[in-house]
Amino acid sequence: MTADRHDSNPSEIEPIRISEAELGAMTADMDEMHHASLPALRDAVDEWKQLHHDARASAGKVVHTLASRRRFLIGSGVALGGLALAACGSSSKSSPSSTSAPAGNGGGTKSGALTGDLAIVALAAGLENLAVATYQGGIDAATKGKLGAVPPAVVTFAQTAQKHHRAHADAWNAILSSAGKSKVTGVDKTVKTGVVDPAFAKVKNVGDLANLALELENVAAATYLNGIGVIEGKAGIATAATIQPVELQHAAILNFVLGKYPVPDNFAKTTGARAPSDALG
Amino acid sequence: MTIDERALAERVEESRDLHSTSLRDTRVALDEMVELSREPSARAVDPEAGHHVAQETGRLLSKGVMGGGALAAAGFGAVLVGLMSTPAFAAQTTDVQMLQTAASIENLAIATYGVALTLPFIGGADAVPVVKTFVTTTVQQHKDHLQAFNSAITTLGGKEQKDPDPVLLGVVNKAKPGLTGPAPVVALAIQLETGAAETYVAFTSALSDVTARKVTTSIMGIEAQHAAVLLAVQALVAAGHPEYITLPPPLAMLPAAAGSIGFPDAFYKTDQARPATEGAVK
Repeated sequence: MTADRHDSNPSEIEPIRISEAELGAMTADMDEMHHASLPALRDAVDEWKQLHHDARASAGKVVHTLASRRRFLIGSGVALGGLALAACGSSSKSSPSSTSAPAGNGGGTKSGALTGDLAIVALAAGLENLAVATYQGGIDAATKGKLGAVPPAVVTFAQTAQKHHRAHADAWNAILSSAGKSKVTGVDKTVKTGVVDPAFAKVKNVGDLANLALELENVAAATYLNGIGVIEGKAGIATAATIQPVELQHAAILNFVLGKYPVPDNFAKTTGARAPSDALG
Repeated sequence: MTIDERALAERVEESRDLHSTSLRDTRVALDEMVELSREPSARAVDPEAGHHVAQETGRLLSKGVMGGGALAAAGFGAVLVGLMSTPAFAAQTTDVQMLQTAASIENLAIATYGVALTLPFIGGADAVPVVKTFVTTTVQQHKDHLQAFNSAITTLGGKEQKDPDPVLLGVVNKAKPGLTGPAPVVALAIQLETGAAETYVAFTSALSDVTARKVTTSIMGIEAQHAAVLLAVQALVAAGHPEYITLPPPLAMLPAAAGSIGFPDAFYKTDQARPATEGAVK
Protein backbone atom coordinates (compact mmCIF):
# COMPACT_ATOMS: atom_id res chain seq x y z
CA MET A 1 0.00 0.00 0.00
CA THR A 2 1.00 3.58 -0.22
CA ALA A 3 0.00 6.38 2.11
CA ASP A 4 0.23 10.03 1.34
CA ARG A 5 1.50 12.63 3.75
CA HIS A 6 -1.11 15.35 4.03
CA ASP A 7 0.98 18.02 5.75
CA SER A 8 3.32 18.71 2.89
CA ASN A 9 3.23 20.47 -0.37
CA PRO A 10 1.39 18.20 -2.79
CA SER A 11 4.14 18.67 -5.27
CA GLU A 12 6.58 17.12 -2.80
CA ILE A 13 4.45 14.19 -1.78
CA GLU A 14 6.17 10.90 -2.01
CA PRO A 15 4.54 7.61 -1.25
CA ILE A 16 5.59 5.94 1.99
CA ARG A 17 6.57 2.42 1.43
CA ILE A 18 6.09 0.40 4.54
CA SER A 19 5.09 -3.06 5.45
CA GLU A 20 2.09 -3.77 7.60
CA ALA A 21 4.33 -5.29 10.23
CA GLU A 22 6.51 -2.18 10.33
CA LEU A 23 3.52 0.06 10.53
CA GLY A 24 2.03 -2.03 13.30
CA ALA A 25 5.29 -1.95 15.24
CA MET A 26 5.68 1.80 14.84
CA THR A 27 2.13 2.39 15.92
CA ALA A 28 2.62 0.17 18.92
CA ASP A 29 5.79 2.07 19.80
CA MET A 30 4.01 5.36 19.55
CA ASP A 31 1.18 4.09 21.66
CA GLU A 32 3.62 2.83 24.26
CA MET A 33 5.37 6.17 24.35
CA HIS A 34 2.10 7.94 24.96
CA HIS A 35 1.18 5.62 27.75
CA ALA A 36 4.59 5.50 29.33
CA SER A 37 6.08 8.94 28.92
CA LEU A 38 3.16 11.21 29.57
CA PRO A 39 1.88 9.56 32.72
CA ALA A 40 5.43 9.49 34.04
CA LEU A 41 5.74 13.16 33.27
CA ARG A 42 2.46 13.88 34.99
CA ASP A 43 3.57 11.89 38.02
CA ALA A 44 6.85 13.75 38.16
CA VAL A 45 5.16 17.08 37.84
CA ASP A 46 2.63 16.16 40.52
CA GLU A 47 5.45 15.06 42.77
CA TRP A 48 7.30 18.28 42.07
CA LYS A 49 4.21 20.33 42.80
CA GLN A 50 3.62 18.53 46.05
CA LEU A 51 7.21 19.06 47.03
CA HIS A 52 6.94 22.79 46.50
CA HIS A 53 3.60 22.96 48.23
CA ASP A 54 5.09 21.21 51.24
CA ALA A 55 8.13 23.43 51.25
CA ARG A 56 6.14 26.62 51.00
CA ALA A 57 3.65 25.47 53.56
CA SER A 58 6.48 25.28 56.03
CA ALA A 59 8.31 28.37 54.83
CA GLY A 60 8.92 30.87 57.57
CA LYS A 61 9.58 28.30 60.19
CA VAL A 62 12.95 28.64 61.75
CA VAL A 63 15.04 25.64 62.39
CA HIS A 64 16.09 26.09 65.93
CA THR A 65 14.68 23.07 67.65
CA LEU A 66 16.99 20.44 68.87
CA ALA A 67 14.99 17.74 67.14
CA SER A 68 15.56 19.42 63.82
CA ARG A 69 19.25 19.68 64.45
CA ARG A 70 19.43 16.02 65.27
CA ARG A 71 17.65 14.93 62.13
CA PHE A 72 20.08 16.60 59.84
CA LEU A 73 23.31 15.93 61.60
CA ILE A 74 22.93 12.26 62.23
CA GLY A 75 24.74 10.14 59.75
CA SER A 76 25.86 12.89 57.47
CA GLY A 77 29.49 12.60 56.75
CA VAL A 78 31.84 15.30 55.66
CA ALA A 79 35.55 15.73 55.81
CA LEU A 80 36.79 18.58 57.89
CA GLY A 81 39.89 19.39 55.99
CA GLY A 82 39.09 23.06 56.00
CA LEU A 83 39.44 23.63 59.70
CA ALA A 84 42.67 25.39 60.37
CA LEU A 85 44.43 24.51 63.53
CA ALA A 86 45.13 27.59 65.49
CA ALA A 87 48.44 28.34 66.96
CA CYS A 88 46.84 28.87 70.33
CA GLY A 89 48.21 25.64 71.65
CA SER A 90 51.55 23.95 71.65
CA SER A 91 50.30 20.40 71.63
CA SER A 92 52.01 18.15 69.18
CA LYS A 93 48.82 16.14 68.90
CA SER A 94 47.27 18.73 66.71
CA SER A 95 47.03 18.20 63.00
CA PRO A 96 45.32 20.60 60.66
CA SER A 97 44.61 17.95 58.10
CA SER A 98 42.97 15.40 60.32
CA THR A 99 39.36 14.60 59.67
CA SER A 100 38.42 12.65 62.74
CA ALA A 101 38.08 13.20 66.43
CA PRO A 102 39.42 10.90 69.08
CA ALA A 103 36.66 8.82 70.50
CA GLY A 104 37.99 6.97 73.46
CA ASN A 105 38.49 9.05 76.56
CA GLY A 106 37.02 9.53 79.96
CA GLY A 107 33.94 11.09 78.63
CA GLY A 108 34.41 10.71 74.97
CA THR A 109 32.56 8.73 72.40
CA LYS A 110 32.13 5.05 72.92
CA SER A 111 34.12 3.42 70.19
CA GLY A 112 36.20 4.28 67.21
CA ALA A 113 36.90 7.69 65.82
CA LEU A 114 34.07 9.97 64.82
CA THR A 115 34.11 11.35 61.35
CA GLY A 116 32.29 13.98 59.37
CA ASP A 117 29.77 16.21 61.07
CA LEU A 118 29.86 14.15 64.24
CA ALA A 119 33.58 14.81 64.63
CA ILE A 120 32.82 18.51 64.59
CA VAL A 121 29.97 17.99 67.02
CA ALA A 122 32.31 16.21 69.42
CA LEU A 123 34.89 18.96 69.08
CA ALA A 124 32.22 21.57 69.79
CA ALA A 125 31.05 19.70 72.88
CA GLY A 126 34.63 19.46 74.12
CA LEU A 127 35.19 23.17 73.64
CA GLU A 128 31.93 24.01 75.39
CA ASN A 129 32.81 21.73 78.29
CA LEU A 130 36.17 23.43 78.54
CA ALA A 131 34.48 26.82 78.70
CA VAL A 132 32.15 25.57 81.42
CA ALA A 133 35.10 24.22 83.40
CA THR A 134 37.14 27.36 82.94
CA TYR A 135 34.35 29.63 84.11
CA GLN A 136 33.83 27.28 87.05
CA GLY A 137 37.50 27.58 87.87
CA GLY A 138 37.15 31.34 87.80
CA ILE A 139 34.06 31.27 89.99
CA ASP A 140 35.79 28.97 92.45
CA ALA A 141 38.86 31.17 92.52
CA ALA A 142 36.71 34.22 93.09
CA THR A 143 34.79 32.50 95.86
CA LYS A 144 38.07 31.68 97.58
CA GLY A 145 39.15 35.28 97.30
CA LYS A 146 42.04 34.52 94.98
CA LEU A 147 41.05 37.21 92.49
CA GLY A 148 40.63 40.07 94.89
CA ALA A 149 37.39 42.01 94.85
CA VAL A 150 35.05 40.66 92.25
CA PRO A 151 32.32 43.06 91.11
CA PRO A 152 28.77 41.68 91.05
CA ALA A 153 28.47 42.30 87.31
CA VAL A 154 31.48 40.09 86.69
CA VAL A 155 29.99 37.31 88.79
CA THR A 156 26.76 37.58 86.83
CA PHE A 157 28.67 37.50 83.58
CA ALA A 158 30.60 34.37 84.52
CA GLN A 159 27.54 32.55 85.77
CA THR A 160 25.44 33.43 82.73
CA ALA A 161 28.16 32.68 80.20
CA GLN A 162 28.83 29.37 81.92
CA LYS A 163 25.12 28.55 81.76
CA HIS A 164 25.11 29.31 78.04
CA HIS A 165 28.10 27.10 77.39
CA ARG A 166 26.51 24.28 79.35
CA ALA A 167 23.41 24.62 77.17
CA HIS A 168 25.57 24.58 74.06
CA ALA A 169 27.36 21.44 75.25
CA ASP A 170 24.02 19.80 75.99
CA ALA A 171 22.82 20.62 72.49
CA TRP A 172 25.85 19.09 70.85
CA ASN A 173 25.78 16.06 73.15
CA ALA A 174 22.13 15.48 72.39
CA ILE A 175 23.11 15.16 68.76
CA LEU A 176 25.79 12.62 69.62
CA SER A 177 23.32 10.65 71.74
CA SER A 178 20.79 10.62 68.94
CA ALA A 179 23.45 9.23 66.65
CA GLY A 180 24.11 6.43 69.10
CA LYS A 181 27.37 7.91 70.26
CA SER A 182 28.51 8.60 73.78
CA LYS A 183 28.31 12.12 75.06
CA VAL A 184 31.51 14.09 75.34
CA THR A 185 31.80 14.85 79.03
CA GLY A 186 35.47 15.68 78.84
CA VAL A 187 37.06 18.85 77.58
CA ASP A 188 39.21 19.80 74.63
CA LYS A 189 42.48 18.66 76.18
CA THR A 190 44.58 20.20 73.47
CA VAL A 191 43.33 23.66 74.29
CA LYS A 192 43.24 22.96 78.00
CA THR A 193 46.83 21.84 78.29
CA GLY A 194 48.17 24.19 75.65
CA VAL A 195 46.32 27.34 76.56
CA VAL A 196 43.99 27.29 79.52
CA ASP A 197 46.12 25.62 82.15
CA PRO A 198 49.20 27.80 81.59
CA ALA A 199 47.09 30.92 81.42
CA PHE A 200 44.96 30.04 84.39
CA ALA A 201 48.06 29.52 86.50
CA LYS A 202 48.85 33.18 85.91
CA VAL A 203 45.39 34.52 86.68
CA LYS A 204 45.65 36.92 89.59
CA ASN A 205 42.65 39.13 89.13
CA VAL A 206 39.40 39.66 87.28
CA GLY A 207 41.16 41.20 84.32
CA ASP A 208 43.38 38.16 83.84
CA LEU A 209 40.40 35.87 84.00
CA ALA A 210 38.50 38.07 81.54
CA ASN A 211 41.38 37.89 79.09
CA LEU A 212 41.45 34.10 79.29
CA ALA A 213 37.68 33.92 78.87
CA LEU A 214 37.90 36.26 75.91
CA GLU A 215 40.39 33.98 74.23
CA LEU A 216 38.18 30.97 74.76
CA GLU A 217 35.09 32.76 73.46
CA ASN A 218 36.91 33.89 70.35
CA VAL A 219 38.26 30.39 69.72
CA ALA A 220 34.78 28.93 70.06
CA ALA A 221 33.27 31.53 67.74
CA ALA A 222 36.03 31.01 65.17
CA THR A 223 35.56 27.24 65.33
CA TYR A 224 31.85 27.57 64.71
CA LEU A 225 32.32 30.04 61.89
CA ASN A 226 34.78 27.71 60.25
CA GLY A 227 32.57 24.73 60.98
CA ILE A 228 29.63 26.34 59.20
CA GLY A 229 31.73 26.24 56.07
CA VAL A 230 32.42 22.53 56.29
CA ILE A 231 29.47 20.98 58.08
CA GLU A 232 27.25 19.22 55.60
CA GLY A 233 24.03 18.85 57.56
CA LYS A 234 21.79 21.86 57.28
CA ALA A 235 20.64 21.63 60.87
CA GLY A 236 24.23 21.33 61.98
CA ILE A 237 24.92 24.56 60.19
CA ALA A 238 21.85 26.09 61.79
CA THR A 239 22.96 24.98 65.24
CA ALA A 240 26.40 26.46 64.83
CA ALA A 241 24.82 29.60 63.43
CA THR A 242 22.67 30.08 66.51
CA ILE A 243 25.64 29.63 68.85
CA GLN A 244 28.41 31.57 67.10
CA PRO A 245 26.78 34.99 67.58
CA VAL A 246 26.26 34.28 71.27
CA GLU A 247 29.94 33.48 71.77
CA LEU A 248 30.78 36.73 70.02
CA GLN A 249 28.37 38.58 72.28
CA HIS A 250 30.20 37.15 75.28
CA ALA A 251 33.41 38.36 73.66
CA ALA A 252 31.99 41.85 73.08
CA ILE A 253 31.11 42.29 76.74
CA LEU A 254 34.48 40.92 77.80
CA ASN A 255 36.18 43.40 75.50
CA PHE A 256 34.06 46.12 77.05
CA VAL A 257 35.00 45.02 80.57
CA LEU A 258 38.67 44.97 79.62
CA GLY A 259 38.50 48.47 78.20
CA LYS A 260 38.91 47.31 74.63
CA TYR A 261 36.66 48.33 71.79
CA PRO A 262 33.79 45.81 72.07
CA VAL A 263 33.37 45.16 68.35
CA PRO A 264 36.93 45.16 67.09
CA ASP A 265 36.38 43.34 63.80
CA ASN A 266 34.21 44.33 60.85
CA PHE A 267 33.88 40.68 59.93
CA ALA A 268 34.08 37.66 62.19
CA LYS A 269 37.27 35.69 61.80
CA THR A 270 38.16 32.04 61.65
CA THR A 271 41.56 32.68 63.13
CA GLY A 272 42.05 30.34 66.05
CA ALA A 273 39.48 27.80 64.91
CA ARG A 274 40.08 24.38 66.39
CA ALA A 275 40.16 21.10 64.48
CA PRO A 276 38.56 17.74 65.30
CA SER A 277 42.05 16.40 65.77
CA ASP A 278 42.07 18.06 69.18
CA ALA A 279 42.25 15.51 71.98
CA LEU A 280 39.16 15.16 74.11
CA GLY A 281 39.12 13.89 77.64
CA MET B 1 0.59 -5.76 1.52
CA THR B 2 -2.93 -4.73 2.28
CA ILE B 3 -4.15 -2.57 5.03
CA ASP B 4 -7.45 -1.35 6.28
CA GLU B 5 -7.02 2.37 5.67
CA ARG B 6 -10.12 3.19 7.65
CA ALA B 7 -8.79 1.31 10.65
CA LEU B 8 -5.45 3.07 10.29
CA ALA B 9 -7.13 6.44 10.14
CA GLU B 10 -9.09 5.63 13.28
CA ARG B 11 -5.93 4.61 15.11
CA VAL B 12 -4.14 7.75 14.03
CA GLU B 13 -7.10 9.83 15.17
CA GLU B 14 -7.19 7.96 18.45
CA SER B 15 -3.50 8.59 18.90
CA ARG B 16 -3.93 12.30 18.20
CA ASP B 17 -6.72 12.50 20.75
CA LEU B 18 -4.64 10.74 23.33
CA HIS B 19 -1.70 12.99 22.63
CA SER B 20 -3.78 16.15 22.77
CA THR B 21 -5.49 15.17 25.98
CA SER B 22 -2.24 14.24 27.63
CA LEU B 23 -0.51 17.40 26.57
CA ARG B 24 -3.43 19.56 27.68
CA ASP B 25 -3.43 17.94 31.12
CA THR B 26 0.29 18.18 31.38
CA ARG B 27 0.36 21.81 30.33
CA VAL B 28 -2.06 22.67 33.12
CA ALA B 29 0.20 20.95 35.60
CA LEU B 30 3.27 22.60 34.14
CA ASP B 31 1.66 26.00 34.30
CA GLU B 32 1.02 25.46 37.98
CA MET B 33 4.58 24.30 38.42
CA VAL B 34 5.93 27.38 36.70
CA GLU B 35 3.68 29.58 38.78
CA LEU B 36 4.92 27.91 41.93
CA SER B 37 8.49 28.46 40.85
CA ARG B 38 7.88 32.12 40.18
CA GLU B 39 5.96 32.72 43.35
CA PRO B 40 8.28 34.47 45.77
CA SER B 41 8.51 33.16 49.25
CA ALA B 42 6.59 35.62 51.34
CA ARG B 43 8.29 34.62 54.50
CA ALA B 44 11.69 33.68 55.71
CA VAL B 45 13.00 30.58 54.08
CA ASP B 46 12.83 27.35 55.98
CA PRO B 47 16.31 25.93 55.60
CA GLU B 48 15.12 22.35 55.99
CA ALA B 49 12.42 22.74 53.43
CA GLY B 50 14.78 24.45 51.06
CA HIS B 51 17.29 21.68 51.40
CA HIS B 52 14.58 19.10 50.87
CA VAL B 53 13.39 20.88 47.77
CA ALA B 54 16.89 21.01 46.38
CA GLN B 55 17.44 17.34 47.02
CA GLU B 56 14.12 16.26 45.61
CA THR B 57 14.41 18.50 42.61
CA GLY B 58 17.78 17.05 41.85
CA ARG B 59 16.42 13.56 42.25
CA LEU B 60 13.52 14.25 39.94
CA LEU B 61 15.75 15.76 37.35
CA SER B 62 18.19 12.91 37.57
CA LYS B 63 15.38 10.44 36.99
CA GLY B 64 15.08 11.70 33.47
CA VAL B 65 11.40 11.04 33.35
CA MET B 66 10.91 13.71 30.77
CA GLY B 67 12.89 12.09 28.05
CA GLY B 68 9.99 10.84 25.98
CA GLY B 69 10.71 10.93 22.30
CA ALA B 70 7.15 11.88 21.50
CA LEU B 71 7.50 15.05 23.53
CA ALA B 72 10.70 16.04 21.85
CA ALA B 73 9.14 15.38 18.49
CA ALA B 74 6.25 17.60 19.46
CA GLY B 75 8.64 20.48 20.15
CA PHE B 76 7.83 20.24 23.80
CA GLY B 77 11.31 19.16 24.76
CA ALA B 78 12.75 22.63 24.73
CA VAL B 79 10.06 23.82 27.09
CA LEU B 80 10.78 20.99 29.44
CA VAL B 81 14.50 21.52 29.26
CA GLY B 82 13.87 25.11 30.26
CA LEU B 83 11.71 24.05 33.12
CA MET B 84 14.19 21.45 34.20
CA SER B 85 16.80 24.09 34.55
CA THR B 86 14.49 26.25 36.64
CA PRO B 87 15.30 24.81 40.08
CA ALA B 88 18.99 25.60 39.82
CA PHE B 89 18.18 29.04 38.54
CA ALA B 90 15.65 29.49 41.29
CA ALA B 91 18.18 28.50 43.92
CA GLN B 92 20.55 31.16 42.68
CA THR B 93 17.73 33.66 42.48
CA THR B 94 16.76 32.90 46.05
CA ASP B 95 20.34 33.44 47.15
CA VAL B 96 20.42 36.77 45.36
CA GLN B 97 17.14 37.78 46.94
CA MET B 98 18.41 36.96 50.41
CA LEU B 99 21.61 38.87 49.79
CA GLN B 100 19.62 41.81 48.48
CA THR B 101 17.45 41.73 51.57
CA ALA B 102 20.59 41.67 53.69
CA ALA B 103 21.98 44.62 51.74
CA SER B 104 18.71 46.49 52.18
CA ILE B 105 18.98 46.04 55.94
CA GLU B 106 22.52 47.38 55.82
CA ASN B 107 21.36 50.36 53.79
CA LEU B 108 18.75 51.13 56.39
CA ALA B 109 21.19 50.73 59.27
CA ILE B 110 23.63 53.13 57.61
CA ALA B 111 20.90 55.68 57.03
CA THR B 112 19.49 55.34 60.52
CA TYR B 113 22.81 55.68 62.28
CA GLY B 114 23.48 58.60 60.00
CA VAL B 115 20.36 60.31 61.27
CA ALA B 116 21.31 59.43 64.84
CA LEU B 117 24.67 61.10 64.41
CA THR B 118 22.91 64.36 63.60
CA LEU B 119 21.25 64.32 66.99
CA PRO B 120 23.11 66.30 69.65
CA PHE B 121 22.88 63.56 72.24
CA ILE B 122 24.33 60.92 69.89
CA GLY B 123 26.71 62.67 67.55
CA GLY B 124 26.91 66.16 69.04
CA ALA B 125 28.37 67.91 72.02
CA ASP B 126 25.94 66.30 74.43
CA ALA B 127 26.84 62.79 73.40
CA VAL B 128 28.52 60.22 75.57
CA PRO B 129 31.92 59.90 73.86
CA VAL B 130 31.92 56.12 73.83
CA VAL B 131 28.45 56.08 72.32
CA LYS B 132 29.44 58.56 69.63
CA THR B 133 32.51 56.49 68.81
CA PHE B 134 30.42 53.36 68.76
CA VAL B 135 27.86 54.82 66.36
CA THR B 136 30.53 56.22 64.08
CA THR B 137 32.43 52.95 63.99
CA THR B 138 29.28 50.93 63.58
CA VAL B 139 28.23 52.96 60.55
CA GLN B 140 31.53 52.16 58.89
CA GLN B 141 31.15 48.49 59.72
CA HIS B 142 27.70 48.46 58.17
CA LYS B 143 29.10 50.14 55.08
CA ASP B 144 31.64 47.36 54.82
CA HIS B 145 28.90 44.80 55.27
CA LEU B 146 26.85 46.44 52.55
CA GLN B 147 29.77 46.35 50.19
CA ALA B 148 30.36 42.68 50.96
CA PHE B 149 26.74 41.76 50.36
CA ASN B 150 26.53 43.73 47.13
CA SER B 151 29.75 42.21 45.92
CA ALA B 152 28.32 38.75 46.57
CA ILE B 153 25.15 39.74 44.73
CA THR B 154 26.96 40.85 41.60
CA THR B 155 29.12 37.75 41.70
CA LEU B 156 25.92 35.74 41.43
CA GLY B 157 24.74 37.91 38.58
CA GLY B 158 22.23 39.95 40.56
CA LYS B 159 21.66 43.67 40.88
CA GLU B 160 23.13 45.59 43.77
CA GLN B 161 20.64 46.67 46.38
CA LYS B 162 20.91 50.40 46.95
CA ASP B 163 17.66 50.93 48.80
CA PRO B 164 16.65 50.25 52.38
CA ASP B 165 14.41 47.43 53.50
CA PRO B 166 10.95 48.85 52.77
CA VAL B 167 9.23 47.37 55.78
CA LEU B 168 11.92 48.29 58.28
CA LEU B 169 12.09 51.73 56.72
CA GLY B 170 8.51 52.16 57.80
CA VAL B 171 9.48 51.19 61.32
CA VAL B 172 12.30 53.72 61.34
CA ASN B 173 10.16 56.49 59.86
CA LYS B 174 7.50 55.84 62.46
CA ALA B 175 10.09 56.01 65.23
CA LYS B 176 11.85 59.16 64.02
CA PRO B 177 9.59 61.73 65.72
CA GLY B 178 10.19 60.00 69.02
CA LEU B 179 13.97 60.12 68.83
CA THR B 180 14.21 62.84 71.43
CA GLY B 181 16.80 61.25 73.67
CA PRO B 182 19.37 58.47 73.81
CA ALA B 183 16.97 55.80 75.04
CA PRO B 184 14.64 55.67 72.01
CA VAL B 185 17.59 55.89 69.64
CA VAL B 186 19.31 52.99 71.34
CA ALA B 187 16.05 51.03 71.37
CA LEU B 188 15.62 51.56 67.64
CA ALA B 189 19.22 50.57 66.99
CA ILE B 190 18.76 47.40 69.03
CA GLN B 191 15.74 46.54 66.94
CA LEU B 192 17.67 47.01 63.71
CA GLU B 193 20.78 45.17 64.85
CA THR B 194 18.83 42.29 66.31
CA GLY B 195 16.73 42.03 63.19
CA ALA B 196 19.84 42.05 61.04
CA ALA B 197 21.64 39.41 63.08
CA GLU B 198 18.59 37.16 63.29
CA THR B 199 17.99 37.50 59.57
CA TYR B 200 21.53 36.49 58.76
CA VAL B 201 21.39 33.56 61.18
CA ALA B 202 18.23 32.36 59.45
CA PHE B 203 19.71 32.89 56.00
CA THR B 204 22.83 30.93 56.87
CA SER B 205 21.11 27.59 56.47
CA ALA B 206 19.05 28.67 53.50
CA LEU B 207 21.80 30.02 51.26
CA SER B 208 23.05 27.53 48.71
CA ASP B 209 26.03 29.48 47.43
CA VAL B 210 29.08 28.88 49.61
CA THR B 211 30.51 32.36 49.15
CA ALA B 212 27.18 33.97 49.94
CA ARG B 213 26.95 31.92 53.08
CA LYS B 214 30.48 32.79 54.15
CA VAL B 215 29.82 36.49 53.72
CA THR B 216 26.61 36.25 55.68
CA THR B 217 28.04 34.22 58.53
CA SER B 218 31.03 36.51 58.87
CA ILE B 219 28.64 39.41 59.43
CA MET B 220 25.88 37.93 61.61
CA GLY B 221 28.04 37.75 64.73
CA ILE B 222 29.17 41.33 64.31
CA GLU B 223 25.58 42.56 64.27
CA ALA B 224 24.96 40.42 67.34
CA GLN B 225 27.88 42.17 69.03
CA HIS B 226 26.42 45.55 68.12
CA ALA B 227 23.17 44.43 69.72
CA ALA B 228 25.00 43.23 72.84
CA VAL B 229 26.75 46.55 73.32
CA LEU B 230 23.55 48.47 72.71
CA LEU B 231 21.68 46.31 75.22
CA ALA B 232 24.33 47.10 77.82
CA VAL B 233 24.18 50.80 76.97
CA GLN B 234 20.40 50.71 77.15
CA ALA B 235 20.53 49.17 80.62
CA LEU B 236 22.94 51.77 81.91
CA VAL B 237 20.92 54.62 80.42
CA ALA B 238 17.75 53.16 81.89
CA ALA B 239 19.46 52.87 85.27
CA GLY B 240 20.30 56.55 85.08
CA HIS B 241 24.02 56.01 84.79
CA PRO B 242 25.13 56.99 81.32
CA GLU B 243 28.38 58.09 82.93
CA TYR B 244 29.24 54.42 83.40
CA ILE B 245 29.44 54.01 79.65
CA THR B 246 33.19 54.26 79.44
CA LEU B 247 36.04 52.06 78.30
CA PRO B 248 36.62 50.35 80.63
CA PRO B 249 33.49 50.82 82.66
CA PRO B 250 33.66 51.22 86.42
CA LEU B 251 33.11 47.53 87.06
CA ALA B 252 32.57 47.85 90.76
CA MET B 253 29.83 50.41 90.19
CA LEU B 254 27.87 48.41 87.68
CA PRO B 255 24.68 46.68 88.75
CA ALA B 256 24.91 42.90 88.76
CA ALA B 257 22.45 42.61 85.89
CA ALA B 258 24.82 44.53 83.64
CA GLY B 259 26.94 41.41 83.45
CA SER B 260 24.38 39.47 81.46
CA ILE B 261 22.14 42.03 79.83
CA GLY B 262 24.09 41.94 76.58
CA PHE B 263 23.40 38.30 75.78
CA PRO B 264 19.87 37.36 76.81
CA ASP B 265 19.71 34.00 75.06
CA ALA B 266 21.92 30.92 74.98
CA PHE B 267 20.95 30.37 71.35
CA TYR B 268 20.49 33.25 68.99
CA LYS B 269 16.87 33.56 68.07
CA THR B 270 15.45 34.05 64.61
CA ASP B 271 11.90 35.11 65.37
CA GLN B 272 12.71 38.63 64.20
CA ALA B 273 14.36 37.47 61.01
CA ARG B 274 13.18 39.33 57.94
CA PRO B 275 11.53 37.49 55.06
CA ALA B 276 13.95 36.37 52.36
CA THR B 277 12.44 38.52 49.64
CA GLU B 278 11.50 41.57 51.69
CA GLY B 279 14.42 43.63 50.49
CA ALA B 280 14.94 42.01 47.12
CA VAL B 281 15.35 44.28 44.11
CA LYS B 282 12.01 44.40 42.33
